[in-house]
Amino acid sequence: MTDVAEIERLRAEFDNELARATSDRELQTLRDKYLGRKQGVVVGLMKAVASAPPADRPTLGGLANTFKQDIETQLAARRTALAVGRPPAGSVDITLPGRELSIGHRHPLTILRERVESIFVPMGYHVVEGPEVEDEYHNFEALNIPAEHPARDMQDTLYLGTPITGGTLLRTHTSGMQIRYMEAHPPPVRIIAPGKVYRRDNFDPSHTPMFHQIEGLVVGEDVTMADLKGTLIGFLRQLFQPDTPVLFRPTFFPYTEPSADIFIGCQLCGGNGCPLCKRTGWLEVLGSGMVHPAVFEAVGYDPERYTGFAFGVGIERLALLMYGVDDIRAFYENDLRFLEQF
Amino acid sequence: MKLLVSWLRDFVDVPVPPDELGRMLSMRGFELAGIEPAPPPASSEDAIVDVEITPNRPDCLGVIGLAREVATTFDRPLRELSRNRPAPLSLATLDVGANERVRVLLEDPALCPRYAAAVAEVTVGPSPAWLVARLHAAGIRPINNVVDITNYVLMELGQPMHAFDLAKLAGSEIRIRRARAGEKVRTLDGTERALTPDMLVIADGARPQAIAGVMGGADSEVSQSTRLVVFESANFDAKSVRITSRKIGLKTEAAARFERGADVGAPVTGIERACALLEATGAGRALGSVVDCYPTPAPRRQIRLRQARIARVLGETIVPALVERFLTGLGFQASKTGDSWDVVVPTFRVDIIRETDLIEEVARHYGYDKLPVTFPALQTPPEAPLPSLNRDRRAREMLLRAGFTEAVTFSFIEKQAAGLFAADAELVPVANPLSEKFSTLRPSLLPGLLESVRHNRHHQVRDVRLFEVGRCFTRSGGEQSNVAFVWTGAARADHWSTDVVPVSFFDAKAVADVLIRAFKVTKPTVERVQIPYMIPGRTAQVVGTPTNGAESPSKTRHVGYLGELAPAVMRALDLPESDPVFVGEFDLGALASFTSDVESRRVESLPRFPSIVRDISIIVDEYLPAANVRGTIRSAAPATLAGVHEFDRYQGKGIPEGRISLSLRLTFQSPERTLTDAEVQQAMEAILGALVKAHGAVQR
Repeated sequence: MTDVAEIERLRAEFDNELARATSDRELQTLRDKYLGRKQGVVVGLMKAVASAPPADRPTLGGLANTFKQDIETQLAARRTALAVGRPPAGSVDITLPGRELSIGHRHPLTILRERVESIFVPMGYHVVEGPEVEDEYHNFEALNIPAEHPARDMQDTLYLGTPITGGTLLRTHTSGMQIRYMEAHPPPVRIIAPGKVYRRDNFDPSHTPMFHQIEGLVVGEDVTMADLKGTLIGFLRQLFQPDTPVLFRPTFFPYTEPSADIFIGCQLCGGNGCPLCKRTGWLEVLGSGMVHPAVFEAVGYDPERYTGFAFGVGIERLALLMYGVDDIRAFYENDLRFLEQF
Repeated sequence: MKLLVSWLRDFVDVPVPPDELGRMLSMRGFELAGIEPAPPPASSEDAIVDVEITPNRPDCLGVIGLAREVATTFDRPLRELSRNRPAPLSLATLDVGANERVRVLLEDPALCPRYAAAVAEVTVGPSPAWLVARLHAAGIRPINNVVDITNYVLMELGQPMHAFDLAKLAGSEIRIRRARAGEKVRTLDGTERALTPDMLVIADGARPQAIAGVMGGADSEVSQSTRLVVFESANFDAKSVRITSRKIGLKTEAAARFERGADVGAPVTGIERACALLEATGAGRALGSVVDCYPTPAPRRQIRLRQARIARVLGETIVPALVERFLTGLGFQASKTGDSWDVVVPTFRVDIIRETDLIEEVARHYGYDKLPVTFPALQTPPEAPLPSLNRDRRAREMLLRAGFTEAVTFSFIEKQAAGLFAADAELVPVANPLSEKFSTLRPSLLPGLLESVRHNRHHQVRDVRLFEVGRCFTRSGGEQSNVAFVWTGAARADHWSTDVVPVSFFDAKAVADVLIRAFKVTKPTVERVQIPYMIPGRTAQVVGTPTNGAESPSKTRHVGYLGELAPAVMRALDLPESDPVFVGEFDLGALASFTSDVESRRVESLPRFPSIVRDISIIVDEYLPAANVRGTIRSAAPATLAGVHEFDRYQGKGIPEGRISLSLRLTFQSPERTLTDAEVQQAMEAILGALVKAHGAVQR
């Protein structure tokens, strides 16, 4: 027994199954089910129409034929649609991960050192280097720090149990290179001296017994403290932001007079005061000053004729500020999960 | 220095609140450490301004020193201590001369330029509350009224003082002399201290009663029963106090001042101040004269300050009136002659030695922030970069390109770890290391890198590929620049498409090849070598033969080594033995010795004619080095042989025991013409013949 409602029900069932079919194979199964020559739903429907009352036959026959054609059309449309969304022959699953390339990462301390150098070198600075094992003369005496001077307490020194290459201590700053350079070159001088330095500091989140410094030295006939200010403001504003506030404050170093500590506006709080800047709004980044005449005398420069300025910056200190690292020891653990972020 | 603002106000008006005072002191070189509330009874405006005093400013380790800075800053008068002034700034009026109650013998004026003493009768008891409060504020524990007064003078004037119980001084005598061998003194902290003859002591007729400038002795300490005291107010040699204080291991307020340089002009003032305070607090009074031993009064230091020099150093012309105001305010006497001043330096400014020191004083008070901003002119062309820096940069760059990540490790390591990589006799110890972990300079970069491997493995990172460029230290080699690498885990990153390939000797060798090429090592060869921390059969040293300019063939030069780390060393370093670690270390000096400039190069023109490639497979002895086979091929081949390249090595089924099959690809090419098959065939026959003859090779 069949009627219009039964055909509508079959049509709804087909639509439903078609919607769920997502592959060619499922479409073929669907086609077999509805249009199969022997057991197909449509074949069955045609038989039922043939046995319907003669008055209903034209209507039901028309509906059944339309249904059959719609099945064909919709299956074809669906097959085309599936083909369009499918990758072409020989394609790969592009969503699988790529084979990772081994990319080497520069150490952040190297990145920063090179960045600092890249600011000074175009300003005419020559990069120099020297021994890490130093003698007392180049590390202290030539820098106006005689033995038993209280200033030696400012830099707790690591001494060697056995002197090598004439050196007895691990340099506490790279200033010894400035002395060596001046001993070998007449003025004018314009150098930076990067390198490792060593102090008998505690090993904690803000101190390590070895760290990296870059020191600079400019000597000439007319080098002034105003030049020091201009040079270092320019440097800091290239390194940080073009409008970074910079503050110069008197301090003491045995090898410079006048001496200045240099601060930048706190990078974290913008100068409002926070734990990083100890609520001062300022972060100390550089030590500097006008070269002490005694240093010039030690290297045979005429302190009447020449003036100069010197400065020093800790690379770890810069790195902590620039990269938001909260423990300086991270720079020495060489954890790949840390280094691969650079 | 904990500066109590109300104490400061005794000397100068302070027209600003404490936080502004702190900021202003900071801007003049006294870094603000913090502001604390004043102890009770305190007014609401009072506070403790804690400032750091740099080692050059011992004068500011007293309230009066900072008062001068404040007076100069705000252009206010400084109220000096004076005999005419009533409290709180009074000095006792005392004659200077011998005192019948005590005999002072200054035996070592070199270590004690000046020694002043006075006798006072006292009633020992507690100090008045205001004095106790001020000492508390300064961070000093009150003891009794007499000792408290000496400490008050210390904190106010920066002049260290001491009080002896006169009754306990044998012979009522004070001798300033060096300690004798074997002498001891029990200091105020109750510790017995052994003395050596380089130390200056204050002794009585029998034995030391104080270590000069460091600490008094317990035996002559002021006690409840003390009736007569001797006040000591002296000037001791800075260096001597520093050495003694360090040797004994005592850092005291007095030593901190003397070792920086105390005011030779202050000893008598200190006593006058102490005696005035005795009277003012009802604790006692002076008896007789002040003894002032000052055999060689130091001349007043006079320095010429040129106006033009100020401008030359600072880059700013500062008006003379301002210069004079600053100097006068700080206690200098400046008299102008022409374009300069003759400046007399007060005795308390031990840091002012030469003109530049005065220029700093002017700059400090002028304000660094007011100096102009200019640039130094470039007067000479920049020099060429240092070769050693180019060398290091090159090494770093090559390892980065090879996929290695850069490490930085400490230059000092544990002795035990260092001992794995060099003989004990080669190790350079640190005399005063922070800890055992940092006790020995690294003889190699490897221990640090391997520690980094351990760290990464410990944090579940299995594949580690690191390098470092840095200095190594040995007794025979001194300080040397090396580059080293470590490689463990997979040779290539893990991927679903392929099996994991663990790193092998030949990956490490490829790294060596990269360095050899980058530094243009001439005639590079590898040799088997025994290194205690490496596996013998899997370790090679790389040598080159420098050719630069030498007429006669130079000696070969060792440039580095590479290979697999020995299991015993892995165990010692807590590395899992299951994953081999390949390492290499190269001497950068040796690498760089083959070419004067690693950056320079001459380009070889590319071949214009096609090449012909022929493969050959031979069966040879399994221990025959491939390098020998290559050598035989090269010597038998015509000049048109452009390259030899092993592409297969097989051992096993089908190959006799003890033999291997080696397959090589030979490339023939001429820069002038297209080669013919016939001539290449002829070359191949000659090559095969040579291989048969030299190595008993059998063609497969």
